[in-house]
Amino acid sequence: MKKVKVAFFDFSCCEGCQLQVANIGDLLLDILEKIELVEFREVMSERGGDYDVAVVEGSITTEHDVKRIKGIREKAKVLIAYGSCACTGGVNGMKNNFDLEDVKKYVYRDKSDWFNTVPTMAVDQVVKVDYYVNGCPVYPPEFVRVLKCALRGMPYKVPDYAVCVECKFNENECMYDKGVTCLGPITRAGCNSWCTNNGNICYGCRGMVSNPNKNGQKEVLKKYNIPLDWIVNKFNMYNKAKESQQV
Amino acid sequence: MDKYYRLNKPECREFIAGLASKYKVVAPVKKGEKNYVFSEISSPDEIASGYIPTIIPPKKYFFPKRETLIEYDIRAQRQKAVMEYEKLIIFGVRTCDLAGIQCLNMVFSERPRDVNYLIRKNKLIIIGMECWDYCDEHAICGLMDNHQPKGGYDLFFSDMGDFHLIHVNTLVGEEIINSVGVFSPADEKDLEKLEKFRERKRKAFKTSMGVSHQQLKDIFADAEDAKVWEDLGERCLSCGNCTTVCPTCYCFDVIDEINLDFKTGERFRIWDSCQNEDFAKVAGGESFREERKGRQMHRYMRKFKYPLKKYSRYFCTGCGRCSRACMADIRIKETIQEVIKEKGLSNEKAGIS
Ligand code: SF4
Ligand code: SF4
Ligand code: SF4
Ligand code: SF4
Ligand code: SF4
Repeated sequence: MKKVKVAFFDFSCCEGCQLQVANIGDLLLDILEKIELVEFREVMSERGGDYDVAVVEGSITTEHDVKRIKGIREKAKVLIAYGSCACTGGVNGMKNNFDLEDVKKYVYRDKSDWFNTVPTMAVDQVVKVDYYVNGCPVYPPEFVRVLKCALRGMPYKVPDYAVCVECKFNENECMYDKGVTCLGPITRAGCNSWCTNNGNICYGCRGMVSNPNKNGQKEVLKKYNIPLDWIVNKFNMYNKAKESQQV
Repeated sequence: MDKYYRLNKPECREFIAGLASKYKVVAPVKKGEKNYVFSEISSPDEIASGYIPTIIPPKKYFFPKRETLIEYDIRAQRQKAVMEYEKLIIFGVRTCDLAGIQCLNMVFSERPRDVNYLIRKNKLIIIGMECWDYCDEHAICGLMDNHQPKGGYDLFFSDMGDFHLIHVNTLVGEEIINSVGVFSPADEKDLEKLEKFRERKRKAFKTSMGVSHQQLKDIFADAEDAKVWEDLGERCLSCGNCTTVCPTCYCFDVIDEINLDFKTGERFRIWDSCQNEDFAKVAGGESFREERKGRQMHRYMRKFKYPLKKYSRYFCTGCGRCSRACMADIRIKETIQEVIKEKGLSNEKAGIS
């Protein structure tokens, strides 16, 4: 079988998700038998050339980004949105809570005129996305699963049930039993409840399930005496860019 | 005649240690502040005292959350059925969970029989443990009539203060007693004491729900249109906790996964449940149970109505896990109360003619 050419691109993000590739472990060697990496800034310097699969990390935040992602889409046969920033806008979406001019001034001060900026967008708010690997950072086993689907042209379905389901599979003590709130009930599973397994709450990094009961979740959070704006912030941390999912 | 043995408390440690040296033993151990899980132990000290129902019931040993069914090879068009099982002693199973296992046994024995389940079940040895009082405010085992032992175990322990009284229910149980020689046969006095304890227990487990075990089926007989489902539907987050932790929920999904060689792979099953968004979706994306209120109604009917026809028993054991696991405070006790309020116990339903 001819090796499939795969290119990684990054937009606005911390590149932490690309680093997760290194955490794939043993399977990485098997993957490299199937693919040829033609662009990967984290670990290689040469650039350019053709590619079949574009793995896109980061959210779209400038006009230049918009042009660049459109170019990538044209060249790629398959486009994989990789990580929360690409899939939902991620934490970068918080920018959309503020006036754009204010944001620019806050970040670039007196040089703010040198930069242009647009509201944060997930990749699929600009071009068509074929596969999603949610998560901040991505959960390596899920990336492998998605990659297998992409290389075979099979659909991958992101689970549409709550992180709680996996959390219960793992028999974690529920955060709510400890008097701590958690966004697991309205967040899409697929990470094997990574955070709660390690004693953290779920921040909702994988985005919400398709039909979240937001009012119900607000009622639950209210019982913990959390001020309403905190609740909204909790929801928005990873979900702001997707206007359709906005609270 | 039924066979009973006694085991003095100091020797109980010896018994557990002896078991653990011969077999793989799982028992309730503490997890976090308020929770317990069944997990492998190597010493009696690891077993929690005064435990309430574990996060996941012992069904995980009978029907694992994820289980490989088939391994396949596309090139050779070959597939191999996979069966994973091991000999295991499950120590400290409460009567509610014994009832849960009995329910699953009925379901998986139906034709076509679930071979994986049935083979595995034969390798599992169950040692039950009596409760003398409700474990907490969520338990409704009294109402569900699962607070007393009714079989479904190899050995059953009742804590009598300074000793344990052990009922032997199977040959396997008898073998265990014989293989760890710390037991002595129980005498008349021991059995009288047990009867006294049970008498006291009957009082402790009286229900205050205002409905009897028999009446429960009548109030749920036409509860489909009750308004309580709307209220639950508004509050429920569809987190799936209540169904994942329920000892009688047995639904699963079947998934194929190919390996990176793109030639070999496996088919596995994984727990799924009616509270999950995709559960009632069919090809084309149409869902038969789009609304949360319908899913909640279904969950309750699945415990208090439908199984009566099929299996002639309720499928709620009364363990209270669903209430404990719900961050939206949806409580089985309150739901039953609401249904009673709405549907009422008519004279006929109350058995008065
Ligand atoms: S800890 Fe969070 S994810 Fe886990 S069951 Fe509780 S609410 Fe759900
Ligand atoms: S537990 Fe929540 S925050 Fe953590 S990886 Fe999963 S979805 Fe993201
Ligand atoms: S545990 Fe509560 S919130 Fe979660 S699905 Fe069940 S009823 Fe709904
Ligand atoms: S419905 Fe609730 S109380 Fe009844 S068996 Fe299931 S988890 Fe236990
Ligand atoms: S629900 Fe009843 S039988 Fe089960 S542990 Fe609690 S008191 Fe014991």
